[in-house]
Amino acid sequence: MNPVTEGLPDSFWGIPVPGPVALASGTCGFGLELDAMGLLADVALVFSKAVTPEPRDGNAPPRIHDTGYGLLNSIGLANPGLDRVLSEVLPAAAGLSRPLVLNVACESVSAFGSTVAALEAGGSHAGYEVNVSCPNVEAGGMAFGVDPAAVASVTRAVRRETRRPITVKLTPNGGDMVSAAKAAEDSGADAVTVCNTFLGMKLDWRTGRPALARGAGGYSSPALLPLVVARVWQVGRAVRIPVIASGGVWEPGDVLELLAAGASLVQVGTGLLRRPSLPSELAAGIRDLLCGT
Amino acid sequence: MSSAGLVDTDARVIACSREDEDIFRIELEAPRIASACRPGQFAMLEPSPGAFPVSRRPLTFSSCDPEAGSVTFLFDVVGAGTSILSRSAEGDPVRILGPLGRGWETSPGRWLMVAGGLGIAGFPFLLSTADEAVVMAGTRTGRGTSCCPPGTVLATEDGSVGVRGLVTGLLEDVEWDSFDSIAVCGPSAMMRAVVASAPPRVLGRIQVSMESRMGCGWGVCGGCPVPSSRGGFMSCCKDGPVFRACDVDWERIS
Ligand SMILES: Cc1cc2nc3c(=O)[nH]c(=O)nc-3n(C[C@H](O)[C@H](O)[C@H](O)COP(=O)(O)OP(=O)(O)OC[C@H]3O[C@@H](n4cnc5c(N)ncnc54)[C@H](O)[C@@H]3O)c2cc1C
Ligand SMILES: Cc1cc2nc3c(=O)[nH]c(=O)nc-3n(C[C@H](O)[C@H](O)[C@H](O)COP(=O)(O)O)c2cc1C
Ligand code: FES
Repeated sequence: MNPVTEGLPDSFWGIPVPGPVALASGTCGFGLELDAMGLLADVALVFSKAVTPEPRDGNAPPRIHDTGYGLLNSIGLANPGLDRVLSEVLPAAAGLSRPLVLNVACESVSAFGSTVAALEAGGSHAGYEVNVSCPNVEAGGMAFGVDPAAVASVTRAVRRETRRPITVKLTPNGGDMVSAAKAAEDSGADAVTVCNTFLGMKLDWRTGRPALARGAGGYSSPALLPLVVARVWQVGRAVRIPVIASGGVWEPGDVLELLAAGASLVQVGTGLLRRPSLPSELAAGIRDLLCGT
Repeated sequence: MSSAGLVDTDARVIACSREDEDIFRIELEAPRIASACRPGQFAMLEPSPGAFPVSRRPLTFSSCDPEAGSVTFLFDVVGAGTSILSRSAEGDPVRILGPLGRGWETSPGRWLMVAGGLGIAGFPFLLSTADEAVVMAGTRTGRGTSCCPPGTVLATEDGSVGVRGLVTGLLEDVEWDSFDSIAVCGPSAMMRAVVASAPPRVLGRIQVSMESRMGCGWGVCGGCPVPSSRGGFMSCCKDGPVFRACDVDWERIS
């Protein structure tokens, strides 16, 4: 089945959606800024910036480097932490005009369980995106995502605490993404997000110094599109749960290409940073493209 | 798009001209931004309509003419984005998002404005709101001094224009107490030196315009931290770019 010719999805996880475009974690805050600008109308779901158990200041600057062809970032999961998310952010996000999915990042299996258990107590969020893939945290992050057994443990730990839908956000940095996706599915995930940023680095060859204070970071941009299309294609054929594509979307055709590769929903990240109005531009562009077919 | 005065629009280039070696002035027709922007605020400009480079570039409003519906920026060509921007021609569209950030807290009275390098770019706009002001600027060579407002007191490291030395040299004879507000904009080392040379009793009157790499400019990526004197970081694009000098942790500024 080609979802593009079969028609665009009008619901996801049982939630009515205006189209296939969602907002990627870390590139839209908690959606509040865009909502204030009236820019969420064409957005399916808002994936929040990562919530960690403790508040995090994030890494030293520079945290962002534009190589021209792509964006490197090492934000370091800067966020207000679980307590303030519960007491300040979620009440403010309760009036959001589109559903919010909370991205959660932790450094141990038990912390994933307890963080989701705490978040269950507050907020009207639609579900969770379990971030086992952030390449920026020394102690955890990537280690879970590259090991299918660890992905399974984390997914089970979260599954035990919530009946809301869960997607597991996989890493392209090492390991076998297809096995990790299957492990997530077998452990109760309702979707997988394919995928997080690719590990990248920019050095000044004269000085040998990295452009980001922390050295390497996560690479995102339109340059990722073929890499993500390939992974969505592979993972989509291996699992029965929906695949949420993340990476490389710039133009309406990119969204349709990812849907054709097997995605059910497509996130925009770096493109959104550049153009907050991108979701509506994509929605209009997709309508034009499909009318022309 | 528009909310609370924030606009993301295709502006038209009215003029783009070289002011000095690698310093350009670009004037854009953007009426909704021109009627909303305040001194010290900035805009994110898309250097090209294509995907290269992938992010926008922040530039401070240098002046604004709400009646003509235009805004002007003064910029240094340092890399790919500003290089593409410098090749803009009359009539070209330039996508612009703004006005962004918190600008100068403008209040009546006497201002001291201290600039380093192209930190001078935003001062014409601030100057237009001041009752009375003394402007001081320091550059390494005489480059860019033609962009300074008339009457600016100048220092150059090579002595080619004005007094030989650093801008902090100009501050040695300053009667700090005679100014109600002090605005500083330039490289962080220069701003730190200016703040360090001011007597502690006037610190509360000093505002600084900070720079940080920006991924979005509208407060969501977490890419633009400025170390806070209360610990942690503030965001340059939302909490700033203009801060009170005492709110910045100068020890942690690289
Ligand atoms: C709030 C704000 C207002 C600014 N206003 C002005 C202005 O009015 N006029 C002006 O000329 N410049 C201004 N800048 C700096 C300007 O944004 C950068 O020079 C520009 O983004 C560089 O883009 P590029 O593509 O040409 O260079 P790139 O190819 O991105 O980078 C080339 C080099 O420039 C330096 N650089 C890049 N971005 C920054 C940055 N944000 N801060 C410091 N150094 C950087 C780095 O050393 C980098 O290696 C401002 C920056 C901020 C954050
Ligand atoms: C500045 C920035 C911050 C990000 N922060 C997070 C995060 O906190 N959690 C997460 O799961 N992904 C994070 N990501 C990854 C994005 O959600 C997205 O998966 C990735 O950028 C690929 O999509 P893109 O090419 O459209 O940007 C971040 C990306 C960027 C650019
Ligand atoms: S530049 Fe994105 S948060 Fe400031």
